[in-house]
Amino acid sequence: MKETADLRFNPADYFTFVLDQEIRNDGMPGGYCGFALELSEQPNLERLQERLDLLVKHFPIASASITRQGKRYAWTPTGRRIELELHKCRQGDHKEQEPRRILLDIFNRQNTSPLTVHWIDDEIGGTLLLNWNHPLMDARGAKILLDFLASDNPEKFKETPPLIEEKLAQWSFWKKFRLLLKAKRHNSIANSVDSCLPTRAEQGPQALRLKVRRYSVEESRRIAALAQEHTGLAGRTLYYLGCFIRAMEQAGPPAAKAGYCIPYAFNLRRQNAPTPLFGNHVGCLFARATRKQAQDRKGLFKHLLTQYQQTIREELDLAYLPLMWLGQWLSPAKYAGLLRKQHSGGELSSLWFSDIGDLSWGEKGFLGVPVTGVSHLCWMPLPPGLALLAGQLDSRLTLSYSYLHPAIDEDWLDTVLKLMDAELLESAEA
Amino acid sequence: MYNNPLILHNLNPLKKKLKNFIFTELIYHEDPASFGEDANLLEVGLDSMGIMRLIMFAEKEFGVTLPDTEIEPDNVQSLNALEKWIKHTSQAQ
Repeated sequence: MKETADLRFNPADYFTFVLDQEIRNDGMPGGYCGFALELSEQPNLERLQERLDLLVKHFPIASASITRQGKRYAWTPTGRRIELELHKCRQGDHKEQEPRRILLDIFNRQNTSPLTVHWIDDEIGGTLLLNWNHPLMDARGAKILLDFLASDNPEKFKETPPLIEEKLAQWSFWKKFRLLLKAKRHNSIANSVDSCLPTRAEQGPQALRLKVRRYSVEESRRIAALAQEHTGLAGRTLYYLGCFIRAMEQAGPPAAKAGYCIPYAFNLRRQNAPTPLFGNHVGCLFARATRKQAQDRKGLFKHLLTQYQQTIREELDLAYLPLMWLGQWLSPAKYAGLLRKQHSGGELSSLWFSDIGDLSWGEKGFLGVPVTGVSHLCWMPLPPGLALLAGQLDSRLTLSYSYLHPAIDEDWLDTVLKLMDAELLESAEA
Repeated sequence: MYNNPLILHNLNPLKKKLKNFIFTELIYHEDPASFGEDANLLEVGLDSMGIMRLIMFAEKEFGVTLPDTEIEPDNVQSLNALEKWIKHTSQAQ
């Protein structure tokens, strides 16, 4: 066993822990995320279990528990084994819906483990699901974890210090202070426009549901070309965000207010970096638009791109790091209130969004088995009760919509998804 | 920051600064020293977010404003393409 000392949360871990607590306080399982890989056949499950054992040996945090230490929180390794959980699809009338049913059953159960791994065995192939608690790692970390599990050379995955703390250590006190003030002002601006919400009801027991929209290679190419045309090479993510804002606006948001605000993360890891695996290494950005701006398609993309460029120019993307650092000393409830509530007391986020980016397991596949599909899930607080997670597998765009039922009206969401297709593909309805 | 002479040797100061920023902040590469001046940055993982950060870095570092309308693969795909774009824009301004 390697080093088994407690590991304190980094500032972004604590940020996600605050949200985890908020979700749990509302009677839901917590800030869990899912990464589901559809495989064309069953991989070698014994080898997968060996890799999970190796994971805990190399990274004791993988099966640690959260402990409070004064005002701070930490991971305390338990040394517990992560058992690969096996599930078998029932054969019957609705067999094509079975993997999804099991996936959601797993995701909706109460959970305290930071990471569970599941194989859902279908008649042909199956689904490998990573279900993790967000303070443990971010989505990029989950991809690296999958790479670790499938790697011929797991020794190359070595943990490195939190990138946020590394970044903070590079800055002088005054630089941190300046960024902190910038972030505070930026937050005040974000808070000034009341956000439209996808829900009317904000209470009562909820279950997480999922809708997945997978685009063909041709459709994905067209979407990429349109993104290039409207938001340039620099803004594929902005294209998805703009299209979704437009789709919501056209469907009519259930709680119609002044505009839209979609927070999204940017990752501090370098592209393709094999480390760090665990911990969160993200900052926060916002895509904001008024309802009037949402009505002009071209104008909206231009606005989002200008806003994004301004954010990078003014270092507002990095400005959240000192803010998150300071937030570590606030109680979860106070921190959540400060960060997410608007001046009117309403919810800041119109929905949650993340772009996981390009994924490929290539010809080698996962443990030698071709990966045929991918989807993502996450819990979120209510409101907003809706999350859009984007990812591309072998150049095919997949949009995964996690939502709370019954808070989100499914008919309304179906309408939004159709409008989203039209917006992304710039077809007649857009 | 990379100050490894193997990574930066033989590069002019502009490309040195760009390469340093790219491989320190944006892209992980097992052997940055082997990454050529015409090698494709998009193929090794320079994504949309990275491009924006790179452009903002270049604008700040070299005192130019790179037009949004010119953010296209031909201008950002390699160190040489970036250098050409930055110099051309700088002269025009």
